[in-house]
Amino acid sequence: MKPRIVLVDDHTLFLAGVRAELGDSVEVVGTAGSVAEAVPLIKELDPDVVLLDVHLPDGGGDAVINAVAPDRPGVRFLALSVSDAAEDVIAVIRAGARGYVTKTISGEELAQAIERVRSGDAVFSPRLAGFALDAFRAGERVGGDAELNELTPREREVLQLIARGYMYKEIAARLHLSVKTVESHVSNVLRKLQLSTRHELTRWATQHRLV
Amino acid sequence: MSAMALPRFALDTDRRAIAGVCAGIARALGVDLTLVRLVFAVLGLAGGAGILLYLALWAYARARRIWLTVLLAFVSGALVLGAIGLSGSGILGIALVGVGLWLALRRGRSLRPDAPVSYWGLGLAAVGVAIAVPGGTPTLLAPAAVAAALVLLVGPWLWRLVLERDAERAARVRSDERSDVAARVHDSVLQTLALIQRHAQEPQRVSALARRQERELRGWLYGDLPHGNGASSLEAALSTTAADVEEVHGVRVELASAGDCPVDDGVEAVVLAAREAMTNAAKFAGVEEIDVYAEVTEDTVAVFVRDRGSGFDRAAVPGDRRGIVESIEGRLERVGGRATIASTPGEGTEVELRLPRSAS
Repeated sequence: MKPRIVLVDDHTLFLAGVRAELGDSVEVVGTAGSVAEAVPLIKELDPDVVLLDVHLPDGGGDAVINAVAPDRPGVRFLALSVSDAAEDVIAVIRAGARGYVTKTISGEELAQAIERVRSGDAVFSPRLAGFALDAFRAGERVGGDAELNELTPREREVLQLIARGYMYKEIAARLHLSVKTVESHVSNVLRKLQLSTRHELTRWATQHRLV
Repeated sequence: MSAMALPRFALDTDRRAIAGVCAGIARALGVDLTLVRLVFAVLGLAGGAGILLYLALWAYARARRIWLTVLLAFVSGALVLGAIGLSGSGILGIALVGVGLWLALRRGRSLRPDAPVSYWGLGLAAVGVAIAVPGGTPTLLAPAAVAAALVLLVGPWLWRLVLERDAERAARVRSDERSDVAARVHDSVLQTLALIQRHAQEPQRVSALARRQERELRGWLYGDLPHGNGASSLEAALSTTAADVEEVHGVRVELASAGDCPVDDGVEAVVLAAREAMTNAAKFAGVEEIDVYAEVTEDTVAVFVRDRGSGFDRAAVPGDRRGIVESIEGRLERVGGRATIASTPGEGTEVELRLPRSAS
């Protein structure tokens, strides 16, 4: 069955473009252009995946996730943005988005990403992988709760390959793992990013912008 | 220009001890309540002047009986002056000075600096000085009265000048900012839009132009990139390089990074080598997208340039093609780094550039 998706973005041109690019691979059940519009719509439609812009006129994408997630735990969010400011990206991820891709992504890759998010996996663009590596390294320098705040060597390897532009399949072949294992490594990294209570992450993200 | 904000006096019954006059003054002037009470207490000792003044202000606040207030205030002032040993004519003179100055400034019903000054009032004040000075007043008082008059007359005017200057400066800053934005938009966004219109038939070029513009604008808005070509960090330099390659060759370059460092000779060599690698990928790999990843750790700078294109067999590359040997491997070796090129025909190429940071 095709995934039912809701698009949340305030740029109508972009909405139309995404719709056209995704074509038949998904069923777009609704679109919204603001936080206020998106929250009731998503609750009503209960889609599989919400494609969410990081910046909306009346708030961040994280506001949508925070308002919807308690009532509709089954809805998965994929952040889609041109914004590269690290703290904005980290904010949506920490709110619960299962991935982040940039708007320059091709229709085919986007469809794959939606499918992956629907099945509960994480989607890391090279950029997000870079952010994550940087954030965790900043945390390791400071120390803290190791269990949650550090990446295993394998996870780091996987992230580095994603940052270098490798697809899951290629990573699996290179590291002699199954694609499923790669996916679970990425999901673990996502979980660590989301659960980490360390302030370092936020602080890192803020500093990153100033570099 | 907005009017100067004069303190507004009203009884403050929340903090009152008697009627709230002291508390009201403290609030209107923004001073400590205890201090105001102390002043009134001391004035109270001066022949009861403090008590009369208190009554005067109370009458003003409760009944708005301005004449009663003025009368009481005058009596109270006279009591104070009498208490410090002034003669009758001295007190009369000072009273005239007070009334005169008040009249002089009252025109327009306010102390606003732009209200016209009454010359009648000034004349009256002068008469007051004339009476007070020969009346056996302490010699200090006359100059003091003149000085006070000057302060009252000139003070508001000076204040207005200061306010105007501040407003002017703020306006200038705003207009500077606006012209800066205008210049920036003109140099970048408008130029790009014009170029896009001219090249509307070449989708690749249009999208390269758009991406370059996006990168620049974002760099400016988020402060990631320095203005112009003087890139100051590895990430910024790679970003500029990527934009150039995109523009020249019509490919898309996805740039990711973890960590960043300043550009020195070694890092510059890495950037130039990365540029060569990107250019090669754009020219020979036959791909639309190139991935570039830069990682900076305490001891190493590493940059990866990857494409999923045709790949090549190193042995089959003609020896006269200097690009790889000179521009990539040689360049890195000269600064103490190393370049590794992994390519499989049909699967793509990855160039890995590594530079130990101690060597740079």
